[in-house]
Amino acid sequence: MKVTIQNLTKCFGATTAVNDFSAVIESGELIALLGPSGCGKSTMLNMISGILSVTNGKIFFDDEDVTELSPEKRGVGLVFQNYALYPHMTVLENICFPLEIKKVKKEERVARAKEMAKLVHVETLLDRKPSQLSGGQQQRVAIARALVKHPRILLLDEPLSNLDARLRIEMREEIRRIQQETGITTIFVTHDQEEAMSISDHIILMKDGFLQQIARPQELYDEPANCFVADFLGTPPINKTYGVVKNGQIVLEGDCVVALEAAKKLDEGRQIILSMRAEAIVVNGSDRLTEGIIDEVYVMGKEVLAYVQLGSRRVRAYVEADKEYNKGEKVNIGLKKRGVFVFDKETGERLV
Amino acid sequence: MNRLPSKNVSRFSFEKLKNRSEWLIYLAPFAVGVIIFTLYPIINVFLTSFKENFDYMTKEFSGWGLGNYTYVLQDPYFHQALKNTFFYVFIVIPVSTCLAVLIATLLNQKIKFSGLFQTAYFLPMVTSTIAVGLAWRFMFNYKSGVINYFLGLFGIDAINWLQVTTGNFPALCIYGVWAILPFTIILLLSGLQNIDPMYYTAAKVDGAGPIRIFFKITVPLLMPTIFLVMIVNTISCFKVFNELFPLFSGPGVANNLYTAVYYIYYQFRIQIPSRYGYATAAAVILFVIIFVFTMVQRFVEKKLKN
Repeated sequence: MKVTIQNLTKCFGATTAVNDFSAVIESGELIALLGPSGCGKSTMLNMISGILSVTNGKIFFDDEDVTELSPEKRGVGLVFQNYALYPHMTVLENICFPLEIKKVKKEERVARAKEMAKLVHVETLLDRKPSQLSGGQQQRVAIARALVKHPRILLLDEPLSNLDARLRIEMREEIRRIQQETGITTIFVTHDQEEAMSISDHIILMKDGFLQQIARPQELYDEPANCFVADFLGTPPINKTYGVVKNGQIVLEGDCVVALEAAKKLDEGRQIILSMRAEAIVVNGSDRLTEGIIDEVYVMGKEVLAYVQLGSRRVRAYVEADKEYNKGEKVNIGLKKRGVFVFDKETGERLV
Repeated sequence: MNRLPSKNVSRFSFEKLKNRSEWLIYLAPFAVGVIIFTLYPIINVFLTSFKENFDYMTKEFSGWGLGNYTYVLQDPYFHQALKNTFFYVFIVIPVSTCLAVLIATLLNQKIKFSGLFQTAYFLPMVTSTIAVGLAWRFMFNYKSGVINYFLGLFGIDAINWLQVTTGNFPALCIYGVWAILPFTIILLLSGLQNIDPMYYTAAKVDGAGPIRIFFKITVPLLMPTIFLVMIVNTISCFKVFNELFPLFSGPGVANNLYTAVYYIYYQFRIQIPSRYGYATAAAVILFVIIFVFTMVQRFVEKKLKN
């Protein structure tokens, strides 16, 4: 099921939670709605499910306008953050409940529920009550309950936030597997970039109700549309330095001149942000774009992370593990093409 | 507190005594009250029920025995009282619980003026029983009462609620239901507010209508509270007594509204000289009945839970 969102806006009183949002979600994809807390991603999900009405704009499932339809008529399967399993029903009864409402015959609904239970690997827990299940098992049951009525799309609200770290990795792979096996268009909300990067086909990144970028995970990382996207993704966070374009070069705060090739194309005197990923900074390589001073060096297993003073700011850079660096040592700094971005300081818009 | 062994274990120390008995001081005000006003009377009632021909003034009695119990259990008035009490409980509890669940569910909706409705339903709790009882007398009036007028609108003949034995009991039950509704609604409303609204959303997304949600989600999740109010109300309904006075100023027409507690009151207060033995024996019997009922309810509740 292809989902098309057109100029969607949602206002709660004076606050605008989602602002003129447009996106197309291709059929059969696993989509992450990513963004910091309060960015409107859950509001988006609730509008797609029909729990929330829209203030403006339209939602289409394939060519059908579902904007005014109530949740049950949209045929969406919804998995809640806290799973919302009915505590007084057994696992089987929980999974059967959506079918019971649809007046599916008893034998058929039990058969379908069992089939779903098998898909999510809870077939041995059918007689238990939700309180007797672990968090991961509850999550599986919740997914089975959402899928049993064969919804057109599956929506998951922060599906992994209530699980511990180990279970989270297991469950995100499970979500991916279940999605692949059923081929259902799936949208899940998360604030965890790693979660979004690892399993989704496309990521929709939001901030303050505005769409920032829709892209494949790697593309989002390699080609951020703006400064926020670059900031939001990546561990360690991207190094952000402020400067101005002068004589075809970039002068960072603290009079650090960076002879960036791409700076020649920029307007003279423009205030910019130079963002560099830690792995894009080459210390004492063949290229010399600027100079820095080693401040601190941390050995973290296979990688060595150095803090380098660049003008008035400290940046993180991965350095070669077999070389020694001393505090206060002057080093040549080179920059790779990949992972170095220039943004406008005012708008955050990508320039290079 | 220092728990290390001390050299002065055997030596008396005021400090130590104070530490050890401190909890008693905190407990005392409540404990004294309970012992004097609850524990002592209970034990006294229990003992008195086995004293034959007990005279309250002289504290004399002819001997220990089951005489009081045999008398009470053979007394047709007591039979009548038990019958009335049981009927009262079996009518008022189901009716009031169902009504309260319904009203509480409605009050829990986001409706206009819900504050006004809540106040209206809780009013009986804060108004004087006697004053309200008088109002009910007017409402139950055979010729000019609003209840008969209302029934008349549906073509039902006027019922003589207060002056005829057949009208007495229904009137008592109606008044009884009305009197325990507010307390029941308050408890149920708090129970309802403890239900996570997410369950309703989940059911709605699956297309469940309001009636299905009510029976499949609301009622089962409210069950613990429903059982609580049923147990509390059953106990209080078995003790039906106060309700007799505002409406009938006594046990109804031709004494046909004897209840268990009224029987106790009658033996204790109306009879001259007072028959303490009979009164206490009846009280113990009532206690046993209530106890058994409460246990049965708790047993059923546990059974349902699993």
